[in-house]
Amino acid sequence: MAPLKSLEQDHPHIDSSFQSFCASLGILSVEDFLLNDHYEFAAIAERQPNSERIKQGIREIFSIIDGQRQPLLNGMELLDDALRNKLVLSTGCDGIDLLLEGGLREGQLTELVGPSSSGKTQVCLQAASNVAKKQMGHRVIYIDTSNSFSPQRIACFVDLAEGRRLQNVMNNIFCRSVFDIFTMFRVLHQLESNMRSQRGPQMVRLIIVDSISSLITPILGGSGSHGHALMVSAGYLLKKLAHEHNLAVLVTNHTVGGEGGVPKPALGETWKSIPHVRLLLSRDRENNGNNVSIVKHSSVASGTTANFVISGR
Amino acid sequence: MEVRRWIDGDESAGDMLTRFSIERPFLLLLPPLHRVPLRVGNVLELVGPSSSAKTLILIQAAISCILPKDWNGVHYGGLGRLVVFIDLDCRFDILCFSTMLKRRIGQANGLLGKTNIYDEELYALCMRRFLYVRCYDSFRFLASLKTLHYQLKQVEESQQSSVYLLMIDSIGAFHWVERASSFSQSSTHRKSLSLQSVSETVVQEMKRLLLMHPMLVIATKTVSLGDRYANEVQRLLSHIEYSYELQMMIPLLDINKLALFIYLNGYCLH
Repeated sequence: MAPLKSLEQDHPHIDSSFQSFCASLGILSVEDFLLNDHYEFAAIAERQPNSERIKQGIREIFSIIDGQRQPLLNGMELLDDALRNKLVLSTGCDGIDLLLEGGLREGQLTELVGPSSSGKTQVCLQAASNVAKKQMGHRVIYIDTSNSFSPQRIACFVDLAEGRRLQNVMNNIFCRSVFDIFTMFRVLHQLESNMRSQRGPQMVRLIIVDSISSLITPILGGSGSHGHALMVSAGYLLKKLAHEHNLAVLVTNHTVGGEGGVPKPALGETWKSIPHVRLLLSRDRENNGNNVSIVKHSSVASGTTANFVISGR
Repeated sequence: MEVRRWIDGDESAGDMLTRFSIERPFLLLLPPLHRVPLRVGNVLELVGPSSSAKTLILIQAAISCILPKDWNGVHYGGLGRLVVFIDLDCRFDILCFSTMLKRRIGQANGLLGKTNIYDEELYALCMRRFLYVRCYDSFRFLASLKTLHYQLKQVEESQQSSVYLLMIDSIGAFHWVERASSFSQSSTHRKSLSLQSVSETVVQEMKRLLLMHPMLVIATKTVSLGDRYANEVQRLLSHIEYSYELQMMIPLLDINKLALFIYLNGYCLH
């Protein structure tokens, strides 16, 4: 939302006299207008000599606010959007797909939590190759924060017999190395404006951030709340992208030693309210496979577990 | 004569009770909300850690409200009124809601657990009574609140029904962002963007909205309770009073522990 001065060009009623009236009440931007009691504001405007013009200005600001907010949808419209636009993307790991009733849901943020070597990055790489393989012309954005992206591993997941196919898969996966949260914000905002301007066959289906916790943990701690604010904003930005552009988001969260040495997710309580689905991964050394269990899901009971094997090992 | 008419009063207690039960009907909700007598005008907060079924309780309450009392000779026990769901967590799953609604319709028809047989027309009618808006930040939340009155007027006209329930999931979603954006402004009388000014405006807008659209408000709030449960609740109670026009609060424990306390005007119904 914008300062009133910048709205002058497109909105003739928000002229300099209206602006100076607003400034006398401490209102310099649309945000300020939202924070103030507009009934009181209208009552003051009533007593001004040019009250008609001011009221028209208020009406104009209201129409700007009305354009900014999300629409009020009813259940049928929501359901229609979900069934038509929010598809399920198979990750290629049978155990995980089975557990999630098909795979990653578009419009949702799925989180993988687990200690080192529990298979988080492998699941990400397999999901990237599987989405890029099955949905031809559909892109995967891979935000790599710890230099763990491996094109060789992606190639392992693709059937090597088809040389063309491998090239198609690779062409659909875009990897960006990002080492701090501000760069991630820039990449995501850039992506958002690109997607808004060019809708077409080259649509992004999946964004992977491996791992998001290594971007966020350095800024947490201390007495300030800015770290938490950035974390929550990053979560909301990812959820907004997921919902508005019908894509799935997959992030990973490493574990750290908690009280009494019990491992706990690096991003803890505040982050918990961000992901739609949270999966806990662990290594099953006896069977040389991996375990996955549901920590949070809207329709599958938490605690449900499955095994999966990373193929191509 | 004038005085006489004034003494006679406008209506008898009986009339008033009947009028009230029509204007402000009492809705029997599913557990755990069945233990609190909730009416239009009340503000209830559900407090609990993540995965303590806060959103689930909201969904069940919403379904009770959108279902009709009776339909084609089957008793559903609902109100047939509208519900507004303001999603600040942005995690609401309509497919989950739809499944639960189908199950409730099936239950009332004596078809336990069968979600594939249901009354299509009733289902669509109920789904249309559920109104949903999502907000990605506190300014969009304020913008939605400020314009909700006009939007509701339009919807109420087209649906020939009024809103009974307003739900907010969850009220503290932007706590950290608002806290971090509290900075001092150079201009003296400009309201700064802070946690306090945002929550004050939210409370003010909600009060105003409740005057124009009398409804029951249920909000959820996520807290991490841990083992220090008793202390936390005390702290919460003192913490909440300033920010909220709150009459009731239900803290929930983790869903696995299934313990529940209900705080009603400072008393604990255990």
